[in-house]
Amino acid sequence: MTQPPLLALRGIGKRFGGFAALDQVDFELRAGEIHALLGENGAGKSTLIKILGGIHAPDAGSILIDGQPVTVGSVSAADRLGIRVIHQELTLAPNLSVAENIYLGREPGRFGFLSRWNLRKQAATLLRELGLADSLPVDAVVSSLSTAQQQLVEIARALSARARILVLDEPTASLSQAETEMLFDRLLQLRQQGVGMIYISHRLEEIKRLADRVTVLRDGRRVGTQDLGSLDSRELIRWMVGREMQDHYPRPTTTPGEVVLRVDGLRASRVHGVSLELRRGEILGLAGLVGAGRTDLARALFGMNPITDGVIYMEGRAITVRSPAEARRHGLVMVSEDRRRDGIIAHRSVAFNAALPWTAQWLPGCWPNYPRRDAIVQRVVRDFAVRVNDVNAAMATLSGGNQQKVVVGRWMEQPPRVLILDEPTRGVDVGAREDMFRTIHRLAEQGLAVLLISSDLPEVLHLSHRVGVYRDGRIVKMMPAAEATPEAVMTILTGGSTP
Amino acid sequence: MRSLLAVTSTTGPLLLAVVLLLGLFGLFIPNFLSTDNLINLGQQISTNAILAFGLTLVILIGGIDLSVGALVALVGTATVYLLTRNVPLPVALLAGLVLAGTFGGLHGAGATFTPMPPFIITLATMQIARGLALRFNEGRPMPIPTSQELFLELGNGRILGDQLPVPVIIMVLVFAVMSVLLHLTRFGQHLYAIGGNREAARCTGINIARHEILAYVLCSLCVALAGFIHCSQLYAAEPGSGQGYELNAIAAVVVGGTSFTGGRGTMFGTLLGAVIIGVLEKGLNQAGIHYSTQWVVKGAVILAAVYLDVRRRSVKN
Repeated sequence: MTQPPLLALRGIGKRFGGFAALDQVDFELRAGEIHALLGENGAGKSTLIKILGGIHAPDAGSILIDGQPVTVGSVSAADRLGIRVIHQELTLAPNLSVAENIYLGREPGRFGFLSRWNLRKQAATLLRELGLADSLPVDAVVSSLSTAQQQLVEIARALSARARILVLDEPTASLSQAETEMLFDRLLQLRQQGVGMIYISHRLEEIKRLADRVTVLRDGRRVGTQDLGSLDSRELIRWMVGREMQDHYPRPTTTPGEVVLRVDGLRASRVHGVSLELRRGEILGLAGLVGAGRTDLARALFGMNPITDGVIYMEGRAITVRSPAEARRHGLVMVSEDRRRDGIIAHRSVAFNAALPWTAQWLPGCWPNYPRRDAIVQRVVRDFAVRVNDVNAAMATLSGGNQQKVVVGRWMEQPPRVLILDEPTRGVDVGAREDMFRTIHRLAEQGLAVLLISSDLPEVLHLSHRVGVYRDGRIVKMMPAAEATPEAVMTILTGGSTP
Repeated sequence: MRSLLAVTSTTGPLLLAVVLLLGLFGLFIPNFLSTDNLINLGQQISTNAILAFGLTLVILIGGIDLSVGALVALVGTATVYLLTRNVPLPVALLAGLVLAGTFGGLHGAGATFTPMPPFIITLATMQIARGLALRFNEGRPMPIPTSQELFLELGNGRILGDQLPVPVIIMVLVFAVMSVLLHLTRFGQHLYAIGGNREAARCTGINIARHEILAYVLCSLCVALAGFIHCSQLYAAEPGSGQGYELNAIAAVVVGGTSFTGGRGTMFGTLLGAVIIGVLEKGLNQAGIHYSTQWVVKGAVILAAVYLDVRRRSVKN
């Protein structure tokens, strides 16, 4: 009789609204193994580890540890089961010290009294053991640390507990070479001690160095699991992106005209010198990994983040953009990736939201022109096929896809020259996604220049005339759509080769 | 028509509360519903209502102004001081408005251009305004020169056969102007957007700074009007007066259904809120209830009103 694996997932499924994030996923982790989990943005990796970490509950399937079925109902339940997750987005309390963060939720003490002295001593010992004592002052307040240092705190926190299963989501994203080496040494040590590790990274060199086995996820399904020894980088990439290219992505129908927007050496927060040209009727896609800083570029162009250097030309004239209001006057509009934060006013009506940019037209003086407003609202609803029964219902009652149609469609009353769409299909169900694709092409046909940002690789490659590959605040390569195969783009994004 | 319907649906319960309160007090207090008493009531409500109208704009965009009580005193003392120095009445009134508007401009600019919370900004200017008011006449009351008949009319005059108090007329005028501003202009529409979701409003190209500053300035201008009426009613400027007025005005706004997180509320609701607070104060007073109990009842009513409002909203969503 063989020993059961340390961790086994059987038929795990998870849906968010109409969207299946995970579907019938099986996964196994042995003790003393580093198991790489690979997949594109949105393949379901994050959902999977959130289920393991007790943040999401699965809709279907079971989790077994040492062959025993368990439920991971909460983060503390995961803790008790010996599962530790290092999340990609930092989950630290910025107002507390390094030591307090490492032992957050399991502070040493007695009778509810916190023993600060013990806390500090334990943390100091741990940091010394990890070789982090020099780079992480125990008493420093986390908000005063760099992103890399915060990442190290996150790692130290996970390593401080006797974990049996360690999940690492892009742990090296902001680490220096030396810190990465420290982390790897530690992981290899833990492997010898029999800890099972799930390692998520886009950097193939790291995976080739560390991992014993690889599992690839695609569109929420498991594609397969293999021993790493038998694979080379090229095969790995093909395996990751190898989605069949179906016809449900409409190709652009327009021929780009004259240059509308020219950006020259733009620098802003996390934007390190971007130059690009955008033509009338053109869709320029920006492909990149989550966190590459494409949103920072969009926010800078729309006047939401200050521009520190570089020039923006609109139809040949240099313009300044210090606020969204100013950007809009120059004919540049952005639809944000975060609809709830930057897009909708949830408790107000659909009509209120749809007509909000055009108050100058229907509310010119002291008396609202309701027929005029209703006409604007009706055009949005009709032209963009918004499924809504009553435009006076609160915006929050609409599905994500229909909300998105409203926030995109409302700009078309008087179309801008340039439209920046940041993740227009995020949180949108399948049917509405295809509607959004058609919408994007219609906008281009009307002569708009569209800058399309999407983390869905096939989407951005198929919808665009040209594709800019974006990495670390720069466009590292600009290619016509015909050349932009998923393999070619992914190779650049994962650092497989520099162009 | 549609907006009228929306207004009545949110303010219906408040109207009912006003009727019930009036009926209740009318039943137990002789002459409570007499014309004289009601005129008196209107006169007492007017100051608080005008303050509350201004505050509605500020609270609607998620802000707050704690300085209104102290500013009532400062505007009153400054204006009366000028009058005692034989400055012509229009100039003195204008000076009072400019003084208040300056405070409002500073509040708005501070709220927009710095990360300081408006609560703290106006908590500080409340102290400053109070301190400045106490500089006049060494903190002692300054009688209004009896020659200033027109100014005294502001708080005490009656027109239409001695039936309609001037402060009530001013209150109604301010209500009308503010209602139009909030419900029928682009400015008002944008305030709802800013209060509902500041970032979303910014992303549609609304100039947040301009709107926010204007909201605070308008609030302070209402304070100036209330300040004129207040000291006119006292026949004197009292540097120490107006304490706690901000809290009474905030109570009227929230009882009237304006959400403290911003984005919801109507002028009519605020008017009814001010009426409810006023009727309650006067009724309890005339019923001979000890003033300590009055505080408790008022607090309970505020809690109940806001609780019911919040619950009704969450049920609807």
